Amino acid sequence: MNGVDVSLPILRLTNIRKTLPTGRRLLEIDELSVHAGHCLLLTGPNGVGKTTLLKILSGLDPADHALVDYGGTRLLWPAARRRFRRDVIYLHQQAYLFDRSVTDNITYGLHGLGLSYAQIGERVQRALEWSGLSHLAGRNARELSGGEKQRIALVRALVLTPHVLLLDEPFAGLDEESRERTGFLIRRLKSEQVGVVVTSHELLPLAGIADEHLELCEGRLVRPAKTVQRASTTRRLRDAELHGHAAYLNTRAGDEAN
Amino acid sequence: MEENLGHASLYALRLLLSGDPDLWNIIGVSFSVSVRAILISAPAAMVLAFLLAYARFPARLPLISTLQSLQSIPTVVVGLLVYMLLSRRGLFGDLHLLFTQTAMVIGQIVIAFLFVVPMAHGVLAAADRRAWETARTLGAAPWRAMFTVMTELRFGLLAVAIAAFARIITEVGTSIMVGGNIESVTRNIPTAIALETSKGEFAQGIALGLVLLVLALLLNVFLGMLQGKGEMR
Repeated sequence: MNGVDVSLPILRLTNIRKTLPTGRRLLEIDELSVHAGHCLLLTGPNGVGKTTLLKILSGLDPADHALVDYGGTRLLWPAARRRFRRDVIYLHQQAYLFDRSVTDNITYGLHGLGLSYAQIGERVQRALEWSGLSHLAGRNARELSGGEKQRIALVRALVLTPHVLLLDEPFAGLDEESRERTGFLIRRLKSEQVGVVVTSHELLPLAGIADEHLELCEGRLVRPAKTVQRASTTRRLRDAELHGHAAYLNTRAGDEAN
Repeated sequence: MEENLGHASLYALRLLLSGDPDLWNIIGVSFSVSVRAILISAPAAMVLAFLLAYARFPARLPLISTLQSLQSIPTVVVGLLVYMLLSRRGLFGDLHLLFTQTAMVIGQIVIAFLFVVPMAHGVLAAADRRAWETARTLGAAPWRAMFTVMTELRFGLLAVAIAAFARIITEVGTSIMVGGNIESVTRNIPTAIALETSKGEFAQGIALGLVLLVLALLLNVFLGMLQGKGEMR
């Protein structure tokens, strides 16, 4: 992902329209852009369509209409979804891990990429070390705590080197420590030029992470009156936190391994 | 009568334990036919069940209702339909399959298919949809994502397949109509029990009945173990 022009959006959707089977117009968005290395925070009340919007962005749910600019090509939504594969990854509010080992979960998306077993193993090893989760490699994913599942799901997405990551309420139901660790991973993803879109009811964990804040209101995206602190204004604090968390995680991983 | 039944039961056990060739041939035919039928029908039925649960197409709901209604179709009706297709004047009469094990397999495939589709659809439709979405968002092609979802639901789907196997190995209607109950060829456990009972020869009927009872017991124990495993996760 090196050499990405951050001034241009990686993914841009225009004229997003979605109507529910009941006839209610859920989404009527003129434009939504995702930039490399930027984090877009989406807020809004329950049932307003945040999850549906993320699923449309990821290609999982169909839009009634949407024009997609992706990889220098303008496409209609149905054609664009095939281009999204592995590049735009959606993570559920409660991460879903397959009923198999943590390692098998992480390798899932890597099969079919033409990588050798050695290359897959190396990538997984690197990602586990990167995230400080190596000690969980052999465990069955279903036995993990909510916070661990969330972070494994992030790592599973990360090994695919996605361009865009869509996180649906990644802090919901997590304790303070898990929130910090998840926030740390999101920062790291940004630093690797991944474009991140996050929906969240909680603004505090995203202070210093989100670069832009939009609110979904009656199907449209608006700038909210109360916004999360911008990342650019807290850069120093963020860098300091990054180093602090890395040291913390290394110590923590060492403790747990013992 | 009670004395006769007691004698017959003892004789039945002796037949089973002595390895009576006629008796074990009947058991062999039963397993050979039903195992082939379930191996062919269950995977196809599960793929259709998956499509009904996950794909969206116009005739989906009427198709689900129809298949649910056909789940309890009498086996003798299936036997009649297969008989009509395979008889000399039937659509596939030239294949000369009537009164062969292949005809019995075809009949049991139909019964198992109609049994598995609605049951597997129930399991798949009630499953966590995040499994499918996660597989797709991680780049899995539809067929691979389908296989992943089925692997996640393996305990429930295997239970459906076992229940279907129990249904076809004990059915008599289709087997007797399209198999013809020919000794050493198409005579299976249920048709043999029907024949021996009609002749007043209870011993072999009881022995075969015992085999079915033991099989039912083993399948139930296995199902219980599967359910236990599934619940633990």
